[in-house]
Amino acid sequence: MTKVGFMTRFLPTAWGYLTNLFVIAILVLPLLVLVTGALQNERDLLAHSESLLPAHITFDNVVNLALGHQGSDLPEQVRFYPRAFFNSAIISLSVTLIVTILGSLSAYSIVRLRFPGRRTMPYGILSVRMVPLIALIIPLYMMMARSRLLGTPLAIIIPQAGLFLPYTIWILISYFASLPSELEDAARIDGCSRFGAFLRIVLPLSAPGLSANAVIIFLLSWNDLLLPVIMASKVEQMTLPVLISSIVTLKYFSYTLINAAGLLATLPTLLLTIFLQRYVIRGLTAGALKG
Amino acid sequence: MNLPSLLLVVGTIGYPLVYTANMAFRDVGIRSFISGEMPWLGFRNFATVLTDSVFIASFVQTLMFVVVSVTLEVAIGLGIAMTINMRNARIAGLTKSLLLLPWAVPPVVNGVMWSYIFNSKYGTLNAILYKLGLIDGYVQWVSDPTLALAAIVVAYVWRTVPFGALLFHAALQTIPESLYEAARLDGAGAWQQWRYITLPLIKPTLVVVLILRTVFSFMVFDEILAITYGGPGDSTWTAAWYIYSFAFRFYKFGPASAASFIVTLAIAAIAALYVWLFYRRVEV
Repeated sequence: MTKVGFMTRFLPTAWGYLTNLFVIAILVLPLLVLVTGALQNERDLLAHSESLLPAHITFDNVVNLALGHQGSDLPEQVRFYPRAFFNSAIISLSVTLIVTILGSLSAYSIVRLRFPGRRTMPYGILSVRMVPLIALIIPLYMMMARSRLLGTPLAIIIPQAGLFLPYTIWILISYFASLPSELEDAARIDGCSRFGAFLRIVLPLSAPGLSANAVIIFLLSWNDLLLPVIMASKVEQMTLPVLISSIVTLKYFSYTLINAAGLLATLPTLLLTIFLQRYVIRGLTAGALKG
Repeated sequence: MNLPSLLLVVGTIGYPLVYTANMAFRDVGIRSFISGEMPWLGFRNFATVLTDSVFIASFVQTLMFVVVSVTLEVAIGLGIAMTINMRNARIAGLTKSLLLLPWAVPPVVNGVMWSYIFNSKYGTLNAILYKLGLIDGYVQWVSDPTLALAAIVVAYVWRTVPFGALLFHAALQTIPESLYEAARLDGAGAWQQWRYITLPLIKPTLVVVLILRTVFSFMVFDEILAITYGGPGDSTWTAAWYIYSFAFRFYKFGPASAASFIVTLAIAAIAALYVWLFYRRVEV
């Protein structure tokens, strides 16, 4: 290699690999600690806490949690783990479905229909998105207590849907606005109603935008702790984040058990992020920037 | 078509917001739940909160947390975005596909994970640093009042940094390579290229990330619950932790609402700036 080739080719490439490896280490090593902690027994973990890979892999904790085998020496959270997984899934899927339906209707009407206040609507949506949940949590709790919904999934689904709806409308407005209106016009000339054109033309064309938003909302709902921790007080009502937070505050403490509980709760979000990455990226970017 | 959405948003955001503001001026306890009676107190809840040294500490700690974590998020996020953007390293594709992993981790799990890493007796960090000979004895990362907030910052920034990195990466990709080539022909160095090409062109994204992250990091909650539970003492109490504790651990809804009111005003100021910038100056 010539001296010039070394300076212009090799050095930048080596530097590029080095910095990228460093960034990858930052992104992955903490997760490796979680995986290693989840797949060992307590004695091995505490004896070799410096090792980033498990010495002896065991799936005891993972299996106990997945099947809800409490045994004689584990806390009751283990028995309710599958139940919490189910609660989380029901709540996140319902919230995603509700905001997708309501959000696409609203976003479409803001983009295509003329009504008073249409121009100021996006400002309102943007402002509402910034309202911190913590400022709403006490009245929300009281409302759910009064309407006797406390302890049911609805006490979490309704407020979450309300909180995530502005984000959805925001994302979908920019998506619908990017679709050419000529297609709908053609359909309407052929006798299709406005709603029919929305159902048969706009929605199918917007599948990528709808999916991008749905993945983000599912993750936001699945990961949320503050709302469910207040609404679900009994162990059988808890979502995964609440159940995990209730293990943290127990007297009984096992690092491997809590790591396994965390790992299992993280699997769905990690898989979604890996396999639907394109949509996650699109959703996040569209949610933060204008259009 | 907007009616159902409007009802839902008013019911779950608008009405509760007004209700919180109303409760901030009233005496609300556990009994009010049954009787519905909330005697008028004027500004007494605000006086209680503003003279409470724990509230002042929580507010100051929140500001410190926000300033440090947002600065780190932007700096590290930019660094990662530029690393991914390197054209001569194929491995950058792998970095990009792994970038969003921390963002996907549920915040409370993130707290659990870092709480084990920082554990003074069995934690991974102490064990590794000790094996490498970098520390003489195990460090009390989360039971030391000054280190505890820093530990929360590290855990929080690890999870949130992909958001900024992703947006910065998107912004960097819109800059045409020809601009840099022209600058190089004119003799511009690396620093000048960054100062006069990159920075001005990513500025709109920079503003958006700064403000969005400021608003959201103001409300840090999950990591605190999982790592320190506000402790040791009140050294990791933040605004959200204060409101949560006063309302749902001590059942003092009046002071909690007054604290919410103050925090919401602070956030509203930042959010107003965001909306204003979006529609006036910056075209993203």
